[in-house]
Amino acid sequence: MKRLAMFWFALVLVVGTVSAAHSFAQDNAGQGESDEESLYEAIKSKVKKTDDSNRLVRGLDLDASVVIDAFYYHDDTDEGMAHVKEEILGFGHSHGGEDHDHSEVENGFNLRHIELGLSAEVDPYFRAWTTLAIEDGNSEIEEAVIQTTSLPYGLTLSGGKFYSGIGRINRQHSHNWDFFDQPLVYELMFGPHGLQEKGAQLSWLAPTPFYLLFGAEALNGENEKMFQHVEADELPSKDGPRLWTSFIKFSPGLGDRHAMQFGLSYATGYHQEAHDGNEDGTNDHWLHGRTHLWGADFVYKYDDRKKNGHGDFVLQAEYYNRKKDLEVEQHDLVPAFTGRDKIENQDGYYVQALYGFAPRWRAGLRWEQVGLTNDVELPDMTEESYGSSSRGAAMLDWKLSEFSLLRLQSARCDFELEDGDQKAWEFALQWQVTFGKHSAHDF
Amino acid sequence: MSNKIKHFGLLFILVFAILSPVHAGEPDKATILTTTTDLADITKAIAGDKAIVKSIASGKEDPHFLTAKPGFIVQARDANVWIRIGLDLEVGWESPILRDSRNLRIQEGAPGHIDASAGVMVLDVPQQRVTRDMGDVHPYGNPHYWLDPLNGRIMAKTIANRLSELYPEQKAIFQTNLKAFEKALDLRMFGKALVSRYGGARLWKLHLKGNLLQTLDADGQRNELAGWYGMLIPYQGYSIVTYHRSWIYLTERFGLKTPIELEPKPGVPPGSKHLARVIETVKNVQIHVILQEPFYSRKAADLVSEKTGVTVVVCPNTVNGAAEANSYLELIDIAVRNLTKALEIR
Repeated sequence: MKRLAMFWFALVLVVGTVSAAHSFAQDNAGQGESDEESLYEAIKSKVKKTDDSNRLVRGLDLDASVVIDAFYYHDDTDEGMAHVKEEILGFGHSHGGEDHDHSEVENGFNLRHIELGLSAEVDPYFRAWTTLAIEDGNSEIEEAVIQTTSLPYGLTLSGGKFYSGIGRINRQHSHNWDFFDQPLVYELMFGPHGLQEKGAQLSWLAPTPFYLLFGAEALNGENEKMFQHVEADELPSKDGPRLWTSFIKFSPGLGDRHAMQFGLSYATGYHQEAHDGNEDGTNDHWLHGRTHLWGADFVYKYDDRKKNGHGDFVLQAEYYNRKKDLEVEQHDLVPAFTGRDKIENQDGYYVQALYGFAPRWRAGLRWEQVGLTNDVELPDMTEESYGSSSRGAAMLDWKLSEFSLLRLQSARCDFELEDGDQKAWEFALQWQVTFGKHSAHDF
Repeated sequence: MSNKIKHFGLLFILVFAILSPVHAGEPDKATILTTTTDLADITKAIAGDKAIVKSIASGKEDPHFLTAKPGFIVQARDANVWIRIGLDLEVGWESPILRDSRNLRIQEGAPGHIDASAGVMVLDVPQQRVTRDMGDVHPYGNPHYWLDPLNGRIMAKTIANRLSELYPEQKAIFQTNLKAFEKALDLRMFGKALVSRYGGARLWKLHLKGNLLQTLDADGQRNELAGWYGMLIPYQGYSIVTYHRSWIYLTERFGLKTPIELEPKPGVPPGSKHLARVIETVKNVQIHVILQEPFYSRKAADLVSEKTGVTVVVCPNTVNGAAEANSYLELIDIAVRNLTKALEIR
């Protein structure tokens, strides 16, 4: 009996101790947990005051930005640089029968169009942006793009009106250029706005260990210089899309400080021209055919990791070669020319280098040539081979902040014109600001 | 011509379609891409060997200004998770990388896009309308919040919780790793004796309420105060000058004051007029230390030092910003030790 009592007593003691120890341990653990929890409660209550709820709804905003680009320009030509450039051999007029605009730069003060950019995520499927170029008495849609955000397999489809993905500078808006003006090869081959077209683009980011992007575009073909459709009874009517492009971008990984990208581009499309040979105010011969264009681009960037671009270096080059393969559809002045070919083959390149010699300051040099290949086969069965034109430019710019820039540029031109060789100096002082959304920069 | 190019293109596509699955690496390991090295280090501490963690920034550059290089786009394309500092720190380069990566898992708003600023204690939130006349003012507050070790603790918790949601099967490991990280951080902050007596969370709570020192005094534990907090406690209320307003999270946490910066406005380089004002302030307030990051020019700091005898301390503000700053805890440690040393000297 006594033994039994002692057993029970011992049992109770043991169980009691164990459970007490257990609950003590639990209490202790609970203490640690609740300390942790109440710490975060305390933090949360402090954070509430500072956490700005508008941060969370920011994505619903429309991002807007405006660029004002004012500049002083002077060149020492008699007739003005825009007209001189039109006389460069091999890259001359190709009238579409309508008045075309030169985006003419005059000696004295100039204002490049005001650029108004709007962008937003539309819904879970699309993003969109538009850039409007506004000038005195004139406005133009530079870009109006709808882009998919949720296609699988690294695919993106874009549509609307946009800068073609060919080359490198073609996609850049004028305020992103590293020099005051665009390279000659762009201006002479594509005109003042680059290859900017209505159409659709499909691109694919390949699943390779390095950057590899393929793109293809179906475009309407409305580029006055190379891919144009003229409404005229004398010319065959072609439905759009009339221009097809494709491009590849390749970038090997080179470590933290270096980046390099190579690109190849190809475009082919219908091209038509209407000319007024005797300058009596009415067109008298019409051409129809195709233009083939191919190009190569290269950029290397070195990041010195110092503040504000100090020590950074960029080397960039592009080359384009185009062949207009046209046939005379009708020739009122010399009917015998009808059915004969007019073939033009021109090329051009630029090489530019920029160096950040101090924080926010860059110096740049650009050398360019057009018409290294410059052959024309005329309907009168003659063949001409013209010389090349060149230009060298030096640039100095000062980015006071992310949003403002002052730039000084001087260029020496040596152009091959119809009436001989023309040398000229160009000088520009540019003052440009961006306001609105903080822009993020593409590579 | 056109046909050749077409064939060439087709060949390319074929070759890469065949090559594409080869590089995939370790298939069951998540790839986490962070914008900065600090995030990468904290994330490594949480994820352990369950993920491959990489950072976009190298730590050597100013994280405001990076180029959206094609290599980053490739990394983002393959990432399962993207972690950013947020508060507009990466505003100049995050969106093109995310957009061009075409990776739906990590787009803003997707579960794989983690903003580490969620829940951290933010300073310098503008109390008035922000204009760009004020320089690089961040409308959502000062983004250098990782330099406050308490924020480091909060970031680790946010990352652990979000990763646990994404990979529930690894939750236990992430939470264990989180506890270990918190413990290591608390030990460095308050020293071993106090952490084992009170527990880290309790010390932080007392510190937040502002009665840590009273509690320690009441318990007769003041002498046990060690770690970063113990090192800097003798200098509470002292003033220092920084180059950019990037150190305020550290100075505020340890009770130091920053009455003036070398920059007249955020992002605006110092001019002589402003430096004259800095020199005056240094003399009037009796400031003995200028603290700045290695990527800023030392010219202005040296000039002020020449005129006033103030000590210039150059410290990285991000992991890998200097060789010895090889982890988040080391980073804070270096800053605290260098500051203490400079404050002692005078």
